[in-house]
Amino acid sequence: MQSLTTTEQDLLAALASGQRAATEQIYRQNYHIISGWLIKNGGSATDAADLFQEAMVVLFGKAQEEEFRLTCSIGTYLFAISKHLWYKKLQKQSRNPVALYDNTGAEDEEETGIAYEDDINVHHEREAHYEQLDNALDQLGEPCRSILKAYYHHDKSMQEIAADFGYTNPDNAKTQKYKCLARLRKLFYSM
Amino acid sequence: MSVNRTNIWELAEAYLAGTLPQDEFVALKLRLSTDAAFATEFYEATDLIRSATDSGKHKRFRAMLRDVHQQQTAVQKEKKAKLVLFSPQMWRTAGVAASVAFLASTITFWSLKPSLNKTESKYNTISREVTGLKIEQAKQNEKQKKLEQDLVDKTRKVTPPPSDIKTTGTGFALSNNGYFVTAYHVIHDENGYGDSVYIQAHDGQYYKASLVTFDANADVAIMKVDKAGFRFGKGELPYTFTQSKSVLGTHIFTVGYPTDDIAYSEGYISSRNGYEGNKMQYTLELPVGHGQSGSPLVDGKGNVLGLLTAVGSHSEEKTYAVSTKAITALLHKLPDEKNIKLPKHARIAHMGREQQIEKMEEYTFSVKVYKK
Repeated sequence: MQSLTTTEQDLLAALASGQRAATEQIYRQNYHIISGWLIKNGGSATDAADLFQEAMVVLFGKAQEEEFRLTCSIGTYLFAISKHLWYKKLQKQSRNPVALYDNTGAEDEEETGIAYEDDINVHHEREAHYEQLDNALDQLGEPCRSILKAYYHHDKSMQEIAADFGYTNPDNAKTQKYKCLARLRKLFYSM
Repeated sequence: MSVNRTNIWELAEAYLAGTLPQDEFVALKLRLSTDAAFATEFYEATDLIRSATDSGKHKRFRAMLRDVHQQQTAVQKEKKAKLVLFSPQMWRTAGVAASVAFLASTITFWSLKPSLNKTESKYNTISREVTGLKIEQAKQNEKQKKLEQDLVDKTRKVTPPPSDIKTTGTGFALSNNGYFVTAYHVIHDENGYGDSVYIQAHDGQYYKASLVTFDANADVAIMKVDKAGFRFGKGELPYTFTQSKSVLGTHIFTVGYPTDDIAYSEGYISSRNGYEGNKMQYTLELPVGHGQSGSPLVDGKGNVLGLLTAVGSHSEEKTYAVSTKAITALLHKLPDEKNIKLPKHARIAHMGREQQIEKMEEYTFSVKVYKK
């Protein structure tokens, strides 16, 4: 924990590798700010939880990029992303979007606003891509679907998978995994 | 040369993991550049593996977030119950630390300010978010230990040592009895106040400080070192605070702490007004770094003209300073204004620049904001 909290860049690196302590710290430092803001702007506690989670996923996605360095603090970034996500959502629902959009200021749109928009667009594209992949996965028969999910989603080792699925050794399980990947590829690229 | 591995998936996995032996890697590259059908198949395979891996990571992260959320909302409820216990009297003594209780109201204030985003986009405040460098980290750990030791040595009664430097800025003395000024954003950002503020004075010692008053719009905070009988330096302050607006082209210099070492830079007033025509500011041609927020802006005669607040975005490279007027206006509002006697005589007025810097150093220091 001590080393995690030292600098924001380290904190981001820890977040990128999926460390819980880092996630908790960022959560603790930022959640109440964003939820407070959202509730003042007509959101509910559930909206706040969803919004913050989405902003955190955007940050997580950004933090995966090797060359990524924040030009502002984590807090500023999360807040800006949250605002943009929320305004987008409101705009979709066309619930009073104009008045709230004024809050961000016109200059914001021209400057950093575009950067945040880009990050959000990349995020949405990525989510759509993952969804497609999930659809393809769901169309796979068993045991392929479960093996690939165990390996990629649940981060199980081939040893564990071999044991769980009754293969005599990890190599056999691996061969099966490759066959499954080949099928997945056909499904995914034909969609 | 042929690729040994018959299974393209195995090959793709090894390629992505970076575990492919040199000779196989070379063979693969060659085949990729000559065999278009193979290349298509191979890149589809790597894309798919990469997507599946990343998608899994995201899923695990989301699951963890949900879990953290549930856990933290439970913690939050407990904390809220505790915060109610802060009585108004506690407030005064607990100073900056207690301002956590005010967080909710401050946030509202900021979020309702339409200019907030503008400020963020074109205008970067120059406090130093402590980031990056491993060396700095080691230095800080060392300082941290020292700080903890100091606290143990000197004051047994006070708060437990704060765990983490959040922001650093610069401050400078208003009067020798412990009052000083820094940029408000150094001690308060969008995450609210830090838990505590310390200055590292000229003697290298850390001293805890409390907020006396502030003007968030002007970005000025007046603070006081808590320690009774504290003095910044031996004599009266060697500089004065000018009350009139300085003219265009006035040569100025500043000292501040972009790192743990003091830095000097010089420049001139390039515009009478500041950011977006702000009359309480100057625009400067002056190279500064993050961490120099709150640094004094001094002219050749030893007059402090203002304190540094922000730099423009990359495109313009301007530095902005808040005029001394904002400081004196704040002082006049204080009930105990008499305790802060601004210096009347600039001892450094006729000194050479090197000597001026040396004197300024004694009354300029790093401001460190800690957060648990």
